[in-house]
Parts: sequence; C-alpha cells; structure tokens
Amino acid sequence: MVSSTVDHMIAVTVFLAATLLFIGLFNQTIQTAVIYQRHRATATKASDLIDNMLLSPGIPIDWGKGDSSPTGFGLQDPEFTQYKISSFSLMRLNSASGTSVNYWKVGSDYSNITVGSKNFLLVSLNSILNYSTALDLLGIGNQYGFQLSFNPVVTVSVTQENADNPLSLSLDVYGTGFPLVNAQVTYCLMTVALNGADAFPSYSTFYGNDTTDNQGSVTLSFPVDSTVSYALIAYAHLGGLVGVGYHERVSSEDAYVVPFVDNLSEGRILMTHSYDIEYAIPPSAELKYNATFVYLAEDFSLREMPLDNSYGQINSSDVGVYGVIDIPTDNPGILITTYKSETGGGIVMMPWGVSALAFPVVFGGDSTKQEWVATDMRQVTVGGIAYQAKIAVWSLEGYQVIG
Amino acid sequence: MMRTIEVLIVIIIITGAFIAASFFAVLPWPRQVSPVNLRRLSFTTLQMLDSNYDLSKAAFEIDNSTIWRELQVSLSAALPPNVIYNLTVYEVGGSAGGAELYHNLATISNTESLGSTSDASSYMTASSNVTFNVIPEKIGEHSGGGTLYILNCSDAPGWWITGYTAHSLAQDLYNLLSPYFSDTIMVQSTTELGEILDGNPLHGETLQNAVVVNTCGEAVPIPSTYAAQYSGNSYAEYCYQVGKRVNLYNWTWTSIVGWPFYYVSNTNEFAGSQNSWGIYGMQLVSNPGLNAFLQGLDNRPTYTPGTSSTSSPGVVYLSSGVIESSNYYGIYPSTYQTSTRALSTSIIADYHLDVTTYVFNPVGGAIPAAIYRHRGTVGTYQGAFYAIGLTRTPDIRLTALGLLADYKPRLYRSEYTTYGTSRLVVLQLGLVGGA
Repeated sequence: MVSSTVDHMIAVTVFLAATLLFIGLFNQTIQTAVIYQRHRATATKASDLIDNMLLSPGIPIDWGKGDSSPTGFGLQDPEFTQYKISSFSLMRLNSASGTSVNYWKVGSDYSNITVGSKNFLLVSLNSILNYSTALDLLGIGNQYGFQLSFNPVVTVSVTQENADNPLSLSLDVYGTGFPLVNAQVTYCLMTVALNGADAFPSYSTFYGNDTTDNQGSVTLSFPVDSTVSYALIAYAHLGGLVGVGYHERVSSEDAYVVPFVDNLSEGRILMTHSYDIEYAIPPSAELKYNATFVYLAEDFSLREMPLDNSYGQINSSDVGVYGVIDIPTDNPGILITTYKSETGGGIVMMPWGVSALAFPVVFGGDSTKQEWVATDMRQVTVGGIAYQAKIAVWSLEGYQVIG
Repeated sequence: MMRTIEVLIVIIIITGAFIAASFFAVLPWPRQVSPVNLRRLSFTTLQMLDSNYDLSKAAFEIDNSTIWRELQVSLSAALPPNVIYNLTVYEVGGSAGGAELYHNLATISNTESLGSTSDASSYMTASSNVTFNVIPEKIGEHSGGGTLYILNCSDAPGWWITGYTAHSLAQDLYNLLSPYFSDTIMVQSTTELGEILDGNPLHGETLQNAVVVNTCGEAVPIPSTYAAQYSGNSYAEYCYQVGKRVNLYNWTWTSIVGWPFYYVSNTNEFAGSQNSWGIYGMQLVSNPGLNAFLQGLDNRPTYTPGTSSTSSPGVVYLSSGVIESSNYYGIYPSTYQTSTRALSTSIIADYHLDVTTYVFNPVGGAIPAAIYRHRGTVGTYQGAFYAIGLTRTPDIRLTALGLLADYKPRLYRSEYTTYGTSRLVVLQLGLVGGA
C-alpha cells in the first residue's frame, strides 16, 4: 500500500515536472515557427514595397517637379514605363545620409545630399518629402519601417596623378562586380580663369573621348598649370551601363560659393557664401561668381544652356546678400559655378536632378537598429544613369528574434 | 513502480515528438526566409542593359564578338559579385504546325552550373529594322470622361481663322488629338451643339468631363433654340449659358485664337447681319461676351452685364513645361508667337480660377495663353477654360499641345512579335557564397 502511494506520488511529480518542461519547449518551437512566418511576411512586403515605389510615378505624376506634397508615393519617371526613375522625385526625398543645413539669412533648413567637398545638393525642407509622410502615403505607418537607397552601378573614380603641367588624371571605371573594360569615356574639363581684380571669373572647356583599358582605367592629360582650378566631369558607358565621375581642384578653399535649391518648381537657386554656412571668422570676404548650366545630350556630350543673372557677387554676414539664379528647364543637368575670392578661386557643382552627377540617395529609417531586416533590390535607370535600388524593410510590431 | 515506468515511457514519447518537431521547425537561414528576388533582379538587369538598345543590338549581331564581349563585361559589372549568370538568346520562329519555336543562338555565362537556387526571366528584343507604333494613354481613361468635341458646325462661320476654314482646322485637330481621347465627336451643326449643351450625348459618348474645342476662332456657334431664348445684351446671355454648361458638365472649353466669345455665329439666324467686316451669319457680342462666359463658368446664379478686356504683350514665349511636352508628343509649333488678345491675371481672383498650365510665359499682368480651371468644392475643379490670346492666323498645333501638356496622357510603345524581327533573351541568375 505504502509503495503504491510512493509510486503514485513519484509518477505524478515527475509527470507534472515533465509536462511543465515540455510546455516550455514546445512553446519555444511554436514561437520559432511564428517568427518564421512573420519574417516571411516581411520579406514579401519588402518585394511588394520596392515594386510599388519604383513602378508608380505617384500622385500627381509630376510631383517631383513641384513643391507641394504628393497624395500618392511613387518614384517612376512619369514619361516612361518600366523601372525608369524620376531624377527629380529622388531629389525631393529627405536624405538620411546627410545632416540638414540651416541658412540663417532666409531662415530655412535644407536637406543635404552633398558628396565630396565641392559637390552640393541642398534642397529646402519646404520642398522635401519626409520619411513619416512616405510611410503614411504607403499605408504602412504603424506596421513596417523601411530604408530605400539608390547607388550608381558604375563608379567612375578620378584621381589626380600629376598636378603640374601637363595635368594628368587617372580614371578607374568599375561596376558592382567587375571593372568596365573597353568602356567609352566622354569627358569635359572646365578650367577657371580668374581674370582681373574687378572682373568676374570665367571658364574654358575641353571636350574629349577615350576608352578604358583591360583594367577599366584610362589616363587623361591636359595642358593645365598647377595653379589653375578645374573640374572634370566624365561619363563612362558600355552596353547599356552609364556612369558619371567628377573631380575638382580649387586654388582657394577658405571661401567658396554654396548653392541652395530654394524652390523646385521655379528652379530658384540661392548662391550663398560658405562663411554663412560655417559661421566662419572673418565674417566678411567678397566672392564673385559666374554660373552656367549644362545638361547631358544623347551622345553623352555636355551642352550649355544660358542662364539669366549668371553673374553676381556675394558676401557673408550682411543680411540678404546672396545671389539668385533661375534654372529654366525641367531636364536634369549640372549647375557649374566658378568663383573668385581675394586669395584665389575655384569651382563648385550642383546636380539638378540627382542623376546628373550620379549622387547616391538614402531615404527612410535606420535599418542598423533593427533586429531583423528583409532586403530586396532592382536594377533601375535614373535619367539614363544605371543605379541599383535596394530596400530594407523591418516590422514595427515588436516581436523578438530567437532561435 | 508501474506508474513511474509509465510516466517515463510518456516522457520518452514526448521527447521524441519534441525532437521530431524541432527538426522541422528550425528558423531557416535569412537567405531562405528573405531570398533576393532573382527573377526581378534578372528582369530589371535586362531592361537596364537594353536602355540604350545595346542588348537588342547584341541579340541581332550574334557574330560580332566585340559587341558580345562588351555585353558580357556590362553584365558582369551590373550584377553583384555573388550572383552568377547564364544569358541565352533565342530566335523566335514558327513550325509547320503554327507553334512558336525557339532556337538557341548564343549563350554567355560565368559558371558551369547555377546550383539549386536560381531563377530566370525573359525579355523580348526587337530588330532595329522594325517600325514601332506608339499607343497613347486615353485622357479620362481612369478618371471618367475622355470625349473630345470639335465644333465643326457647317452653319456657323468663323472669324480670325484667316487662311483656314473651321472645317480644315477641325480636321487637323482631329488628326492631332483623337488618338488621346476615348471618343472624338465632330459637332457638325449648331443643332448638334444645342443637343450637347442640353446634356444629350450625340453618339452615346460620355458628356461629363469632355473637352470642347471651338474652331470658329473669335466667333462661337449658337444653336437657333438658344438664339431665341438668350438674345439679351447682344447675345451675351448665351455666352453666360455656355459658361454655365461648362461648369455643369465639367468641360474644358477651348478658344483657339483671339478674343473669346466676341461674336456669335449661325448662318440661318443671322443671314442678314454681318460682323462689320463683311462676314454674314455673324452677330457682334463684343467684350461683354467673355465676361458673361466667365460669370457662367463661375456658376453665378444670374448674369450681370459687364465688360472684359485683353492686352497686347507682343512677342511671347512657350513655357518650359510646354516645350518639354512639345518634345514628348512630337508637336513642334514655333516657340515664340505674337499675342494681341492676352487675358488679364485679374480674372483668376475675380472668377475663382486656378491656372493649371501656362502655355506661354505670362508677361506682367497679361496671360497670353493658359488653361484656367474653376475651383469647385474643396480640392476639386468644376469647369475649365483654355484661352489662346494670340493674333491671327491660328496655329492649331498650339491648341493640341496645350491640352496635352495639361492632361499629360502617357505614350506606350507597342508590342512587337513578328517572326524574324524579335529575339528572346533569357537571363538566369544564381547565388553563390554565404547568406
């Protein structure tokens, strides 16, 4: 009788303990399966989202060229079908890669997609579409977060091999997985002439073509003195792939012109003094500038377009002293500005539409802080330039990753 | 002891079940959960390689080793390093039985095997010898409407269309614009105009949201029934009624040249009167006509007699947006014209209008040509007016271009599947390396 009771008690105790243990273990297994399903749903959402964004121009279809907020989010170029993306819609996305810049003279902040030291793209936040609005327009506000990035497929890296006359520049052209061998390179070198003390700076252009070697490289030489400021823009193209590279040398680094895109629909650009951005001392240093607008023709040559008010002089500290230029076109191009200060001069560039200088674009939240991220990618063209669009999507529903 | 043994047996069974369940319910690698969509990557890569028709060129020049070497370099450069590929070009042919046959013409690859994780997509390329058709998007296809009425009234003469007849202008307009509309209706008489003003479709077309183009220049055709009812104030009341209908049916009324609504015309009604320049069948309304129309467009309950004015800014230039539309639609009028009947910017505020398209750049307070839309309820428009205040002779291409620039219908390339002119390119991609 006693042994039977002991047997019963041991059996019940062991059974209860085992039951509790197995409930925990099975629960973990079920949770693993649930997480798998959720991850799968997130991955499917990532694929859907990137196609939704890239295959729709948004509402209205030309919202990229205006300043008002769209009522539907989409990045496709409205003049095309397929994966052709609007260079201007990308310009209106609030950059996640750069810190916004405040220009105190007009009291506005500007989204910053600046690349390098003298290639600016600063767009007024009044014209910018921010991440939270995009989430709402896509209807995923409280469910998913995303980061959308566009990176050029072809990189054209320009290195100054020899600064003295003859100036020697080396170009390395490579894609995401392979150098671009035997690619055609069309280039334009602009040299800055500072002219006399009271004159505005001017520029001269040299155009040319060349081909990359078996390493995807080519060396260009120009009869340019070491004291002359210049900018080189090179387009490399091969078998449907087109990429852009650029490089500048300036003789005066301390004061320069910074262009701000103040109004997209009107193409209004503010030409400002770098001291006003950096709050530098001394506060006063006059700059003279001369701006021109060029765009890429179908034969990959650069064509100049005349601008009204292309000359001007600006100064720091004085309220209201900045230049205004209107870009009279809906086509992507490059605003090239030569400037002259007391100590020298130089050249700065600003793409009108991100594709003109193949600027990368990063838009959305921070994917590095998420526990699990689904990604997908597409090959696209933006203004004729080959880009890779990549999306990272994560769930905001707050489940843990285990297993 | 027996119960303990039974419990142990149960535990062993459940443990076995747990091990079996765990074996199948392991969270897979991220690559398996979220694989790169190789099918879409492949398709978009093919589209990108063909963006300048280089892929099509290679597909039709199989023996040109230089082009194929360039294609392979481009393909390798475009894809991420961990993606392997196999690209094959097929000739599309036909069998005796009528079925399509695909013959392998050329292949390039950077691997012997694509492994188990691969996917492919196909892309049809066309020979450069093929002539393509363009299929335009129909205006109003998605939003309703899509009818174009061209006033080609045989019983209504025109004015300021010197050198043309209303009929020839209507025919040119038909050729330019009919591909962009679901229905294009030639309104052949003032009686038919009366029908649509009364809200009766002529051929079952959609009346609402239509575009109405008056090819009679400064004169507007008037149906006899309307001439009898609305002759007050030298027929300005008829112009007011037209404006009311434009608002009611959400039409876009287009005046192709000069001062809109300056005359009304009907050869039967005005057989004995002329417009003071010797054109019979026409009655002068003068400047109250435009004012009356705008009052109607503004949906004012009653007509109040008033006057309108225009100005002569001289040489004016197409706006940048319209120049871009000019390239897109392949319609190339001169980029500068002479304007002597430009409307004033003051009408925008006076009649609750928004300018949705400036066809020519405004000059001071003068608008040489623009499309004005009347603000309806919040966020909507109700009725529109396209006035081209240029001097005679009219260029009908400006009418077409302005409307296209405002409605922005898209152009789609047509499909091409003729044997011998198309080749199929299949790109298969695979993944190598870790997750």
